[in-house]
Amino acid sequence: MQSEIIGRLQNIFDDVFLEPVVVTPQLSAHEVEEWDSLIQISLLVSIEKAFGIRFRVGEVEATRNVGELADLIARRLENS
Amino acid sequence: MMTRDSKLVTNDVLKKLLAEGKPDLLWQHLLCRSQAATSFDDLFLLSRIRKKAIAQGFEATPTAENLRLAMIGACSLYPLHELVDHLLSVAGSPAELFTGEFDAYVTEILNESSGLYDFKPQVVVIVPTERRCKYLGHLADPREHFEMEAVRIRSELLDLCQILHQRSGAEIVLCNFKLPAYFDPGPYRTRTLGSDWNFRKLVNLELGLNAPPYVHICDVEFLSSRRGGLMSSDERAWLESKQPCAPDLMVDIAKEITHVVRALRIGPKKVLILDLDNTIWGGIVGDDGVEGIEIGGTSPRGEAFRAFQEYVLSLTERGVLLAVCSKNDYDKAIEPFEKHPEMALRLDHFVSFKANWNPKPDNLRLIADELHLGLDSFVFLDDDPVEIDIVREFTPEVSAILVGPDPSDYVKQLQEARLFEPSNITLEDSQRTQKYKQESLRKRDVPSFTDLSSYLASLKMTGTISEFRSVDVPRITQLINKSNQFNVTTRRRTESEITRLIDDQNRVSFSVRLSDRFGDYGLTGVVIGAIDRSAPAAILEIDTWLMSCRVLNRQVEEEMMNEIARLAEKHSCTEIMGVYIPTAKNQLVRNLYPRMGFQKLTETETYSQFSYELKTFKPFQTRIEIVRRAYDAK
Repeated sequence: MQSEIIGRLQNIFDDVFLEPVVVTPQLSAHEVEEWDSLIQISLLVSIEKAFGIRFRVGEVEATRNVGELADLIARRLENS
Repeated sequence: MMTRDSKLVTNDVLKKLLAEGKPDLLWQHLLCRSQAATSFDDLFLLSRIRKKAIAQGFEATPTAENLRLAMIGACSLYPLHELVDHLLSVAGSPAELFTGEFDAYVTEILNESSGLYDFKPQVVVIVPTERRCKYLGHLADPREHFEMEAVRIRSELLDLCQILHQRSGAEIVLCNFKLPAYFDPGPYRTRTLGSDWNFRKLVNLELGLNAPPYVHICDVEFLSSRRGGLMSSDERAWLESKQPCAPDLMVDIAKEITHVVRALRIGPKKVLILDLDNTIWGGIVGDDGVEGIEIGGTSPRGEAFRAFQEYVLSLTERGVLLAVCSKNDYDKAIEPFEKHPEMALRLDHFVSFKANWNPKPDNLRLIADELHLGLDSFVFLDDDPVEIDIVREFTPEVSAILVGPDPSDYVKQLQEARLFEPSNITLEDSQRTQKYKQESLRKRDVPSFTDLSSYLASLKMTGTISEFRSVDVPRITQLINKSNQFNVTTRRRTESEITRLIDDQNRVSFSVRLSDRFGDYGLTGVVIGAIDRSAPAAILEIDTWLMSCRVLNRQVEEEMMNEIARLAEKHSCTEIMGVYIPTAKNQLVRNLYPRMGFQKLTETETYSQFSYELKTFKPFQTRIEIVRRAYDAK
């Protein structure tokens, strides 16, 4: 499940980021120069659109890396 | 130059242009894509592509000096400022931006030594939050309390604007308040000014109606209703990062701010120049003839062109000048304006009329010389993409708008170019004010009505009656073959049969058009009569008498009767004969003849015959002013 979601995230990252970013479960925002708080808004909008989900208030902020984000997406996919 | 309608490329193509180092194409596509973008992630990505291109050393060619634009407000202004920065930049009006601290706009304005004043802004955008635009008392408070509170909020904001303007000289763009999309307090919201819904509307009205000329309202209420209340709100975005609204509404707000700011710097367009064939009527007048073009009530397409003409005409009320630039023979081109009854536009509405076979850019330059106006004040409209391209190529100062393919979209296409929006300056010029004054005096003459007759009088109806003319043949044929209810004989005829009636000496035929102070109803009534001269005294027999139901109860049939009698007398008839042929649908006119004063001669299930002795005729008095009668009688 996680790896499938990360595969789809790679496509979204390819669209949102101008520089190539290799998406791995360990990847976090401070490792990518482009990944600031503004792009974060855009990234989340794109993820919600692509997966047809809606994150709950505050929960994305609590994820520490892409792996946790993918797990969160999986949870939201389950109960949406 | 703006190429609003050229094909939109994908993000991948943009990224490729960036990688390959093709700045000209990149800027052009960035502009098109940005103008078309409606979602936040889309526009935000475009903004980053632009920034990266600049970081790579691609120079955009700015067409204006950098504008010093400050944004302050009660919310986070990131990333709204990014979107505004981007849109101004791709549109050729790049700005230098100052962004205020979160919720610091009041102190930034009041504190004379704040960074805002150090920045020396030329334009300041203020984004307050609707969260503070609330009535805090009880929903059932007296109405004056709501109104006083709304005035207080309005004054507080406009006072801040005044201080800011006096200290900095800046023009101010003030965002008004988004309306809530929540149900609470239910339908009761409409009964009190204290509900958030009504209270914010009230404050927005107060702001708009009291804003001084240097305050330009960014109408967020309108923008959010256009996008949809639910899609405009995002409580999570406020809680997580103090965003003013849903990300997508930010796109609309940024576009509106950009539009208002650009309108401050760029002179208004003054002249709308129109192509003719398939632009203001359907078809090609040179091939189809004046009878063959589609305009007016004959068909939905004709009505669409008519509506477009009416909209164009309404622009002249805002001071827009109209001109024609068409590839046509001049004589052919002017014919519809002179002869076609359904045209809303007439020759005297145009300040210049170029119908010839010269290239359109040449004609546009000629018009500019004639009017002593710059090409940059021109908007040119055509349905032909080739002509639009040629105009953009050779007269790039002209804003060229491609319309089509559906004429019902033309009004929208012209409106969405947003080139003729009135400003407080153009609308308040003294001549207009004078005219408004005269009109408001005239309006006092309109009687209030308490009964049908005074209601009809208040409509100020005018009727135009004319013999059958070739331009009317399509509409007459259509009515004859479509009308079922107000139709005494339901006799159908083809277009060529109608055409033959025009010159038939033994026939008297006419059509009626009605208009009132709300508009034109077009050709809505038809009578065909035959003159029987075999009897010692001639008789007028009514072959066809029909009317469109949209003008029922307007006394049109009485005026038709008056005209029938007038024509009968003119042809020395002593009697009018009428027949009623019942169908499943024409019960409406079962008693038309008796109502008009006819005597019944015979009645069967399939046929009734009526007669009217002309010597007893007295014209009906109606509330319709007949401005023309058939066979050119006044």
